[in-house]
Amino acid sequence: MMNFRNAGRISGVVATGAIAALLITGCSRGDDGTGEPDAPSPGITDTTLSLGISSPLSGPTAGPGSCSVAGLYTYLEAKNADGGFEFGDGNTREVTLTYLDDVYDPAKAVSNFRQMVDDGIFAYVGALGTPTNAAILPIAQEEEVPQVLLITGATMFSSNQEENPYTFGLLPTYYSEGFAFGELLAERGEVTVATLAQNDDYGDDYLAGFEAAIDGSDVQIVASATYEPSDPTLDSQVTELAASGADALLSAVSVTPLQVGVLTKAQSLGWTPDIFLPSNTSTPATVVVPGNGAAYPAVYSTSLTKVPVSPAFAEDEDVIAYNEAFELYGKTITETYTPHCAWSYAEGAILEQAFLKMTEPTRANFLEALHSIEDFQAPLLLDGITVNTTDPTLPAIQGINLVQFNGQGYGPVQ
Amino acid sequence: MNMNTITKLTANLWVRIAFGVVVAAVLVVLPLISSKFVNYQLGLMAVFAVAILGLNIVMGYAGQVSLGQSAFLGLGAYIAAYLVTADLGIPEPLVVPVSLVLCAVIPAAVGLVVALAAARLRGLALAMVTIALPIIGIPLAKRFREYTGGAQGTTVSWLRAPDWAEGFLENDQWRYYVVVLIAVLMFLLARNLVRGRMGRAFRIVKENESVAIAMGISPYRYKVMAFTIASLFGGVAGFMYLGVVQYTSPETLSFHTSINMVAAMVIGGSASILGTIFGAIYFVLVPSVANEVDSSLTALISGAILLAVLFLVPGGVVSLPRRISQVARGLARRRGGEAPQNPSDPAHAPVTTGPESTEKNKGKRQGQ
Repeated sequence: MMNFRNAGRISGVVATGAIAALLITGCSRGDDGTGEPDAPSPGITDTTLSLGISSPLSGPTAGPGSCSVAGLYTYLEAKNADGGFEFGDGNTREVTLTYLDDVYDPAKAVSNFRQMVDDGIFAYVGALGTPTNAAILPIAQEEEVPQVLLITGATMFSSNQEENPYTFGLLPTYYSEGFAFGELLAERGEVTVATLAQNDDYGDDYLAGFEAAIDGSDVQIVASATYEPSDPTLDSQVTELAASGADALLSAVSVTPLQVGVLTKAQSLGWTPDIFLPSNTSTPATVVVPGNGAAYPAVYSTSLTKVPVSPAFAEDEDVIAYNEAFELYGKTITETYTPHCAWSYAEGAILEQAFLKMTEPTRANFLEALHSIEDFQAPLLLDGITVNTTDPTLPAIQGINLVQFNGQGYGPVQ
Repeated sequence: MNMNTITKLTANLWVRIAFGVVVAAVLVVLPLISSKFVNYQLGLMAVFAVAILGLNIVMGYAGQVSLGQSAFLGLGAYIAAYLVTADLGIPEPLVVPVSLVLCAVIPAAVGLVVALAAARLRGLALAMVTIALPIIGIPLAKRFREYTGGAQGTTVSWLRAPDWAEGFLENDQWRYYVVVLIAVLMFLLARNLVRGRMGRAFRIVKENESVAIAMGISPYRYKVMAFTIASLFGGVAGFMYLGVVQYTSPETLSFHTSINMVAAMVIGGSASILGTIFGAIYFVLVPSVANEVDSSLTALISGAILLAVLFLVPGGVVSLPRRISQVARGLARRRGGEAPQNPSDPAHAPVTTGPESTEKNKGKRQGQ
């Protein structure tokens, strides 16, 4: 048997030697080939380009999270099967998408992002979630990896381009949604409004937009209340607001069951104002129909896209193409439709436009190309809503279509 | 090599020192040769090792259910974030040590106050009180926006590599060294704690409160103590979290994180210092592994791994060697071979009382 004393000494010597050796070699770590300006960025060759996304694919936000991947995946794979994407430099490339699950946890999102950067993604696109994207934001700037077309309504991602040139959003902000509602009411003249908003940045952005739009008009906010997303019911808030007898209710509630509760409670109190619902809690099947929205004179919301699952759009060319492709590719990720599927599908088309304008295989050139799209009618976007990226401080889609509930789905405002 | 030789080996001082040196060398060298992603993962493991260690002290050693550890993790992270971003006139070089101290003291004080009331309760009632912590914490974090950054959270850029390290240490490497150093210190602290008088008292309170009272040990006092220590570890882990992730938001406090930490603690090995490390590795690695297999099925895969570990090694990963030898002996006996008698070494017992005692009981029951 070996002498333990010697064994101890030998392993000590070996360990010290190993440390010394590694200290010397280790220092040269982390040169990512960013030396020459014209050298291709990581993740792109003459025939391929790799994109990455981290979204919640499990947990409470899995529905929207999966759709934010599935729509994009569908668009990319359908195009790849069709021969690939054409680029401005004359090459045709296959665009691959790596997607990882972060369960809406910022620490996991950062981990996924770092992993994908290590694996050499060219750009990080379309991720869903405000906290998860906020955690990645500074790292994306540090690593100089584009973090673009994010599916979040928070203003922080696009507003500060000087500090965060590698990041911008896809969707209209909560602010602009609130603004659109305010504009509609301001046109009507003398109206009284009650507001119900989530007690955080989401609710604040919404109200700020609304107030900015009604500023100087005859619209008057006569009652307002706030709530926490963890509240079990909003009955007391609704009762308080109902006492004001306002003509309209701006219900900036982001939790689906709570929004249904607001609709049922108000009518049970005999208060039937015009209702304004934010885009994320206005789905007919899960909110307006269970909440008996037909009891109100009008239910308004905003919409960006055609709804592929609605019979109203069954004959639409975009919808037919989307449904066929989704059956083939997107179904492997999710089977439940949320609007995020349509948004991320349109996002694929926006990327394609940017690729067409890309003349050099670099991230800088990609960002430049991505910021030069004007009046692009992306598939599935409603008529009149276009993509404009020339102002980098705004998200890619700014237009908002106000829609009105017509018994089954949404139609134009009457 | 059978268990006897292994026990003899680990009892030898020189082997222990050599082992320590090798572990230290690996911890020192690893960040220098790893990518930023690996360093981040390693840093997260250190963070959650400390948080789970706190949980293990209150749950594993003292036997009190706590489902609120994420609240202290979040509290620590928010304290550090506030001190780093707010201009409070603390001299630059003192910001990090001051915030580390406050991240330990404030969560410990909060834990103490909660425990003074909660430790009077037992079992499920106690679990309910601890569940309330993250549930109250999240809306509070959103409401006090001036301090917390609201639902969007607070992004920081701190714990950067100091100027003198320029050229040979990058930020991620520096952050790794800081958090791993803190983790090592916290582990030494916990080790001394559970092996000393307090650890013995915890174990008696866990096993039988009446016996504890008879011996002059106040169960209430020691439960409050265990909670306070767990909160302190949670707060320090929060400081480390902010160092590694550079971001905190109400999601950090999420109840989900608490439950996952409890699962990781059980998987690593309840009432075991070494098991805590396995638990932290499990906590950080399994989501990545599940993502590698199929990112749309991560919940399913993580669940399957959890069940598999609990079925195969019910005493946690730390009991794996014992479990293997157990299974091997069982097989040998079935083949008709005479199994070597192997009484468990008394020197081993104090470290892993929890799982070992249950194993022994099981053996007795099977023998009857």
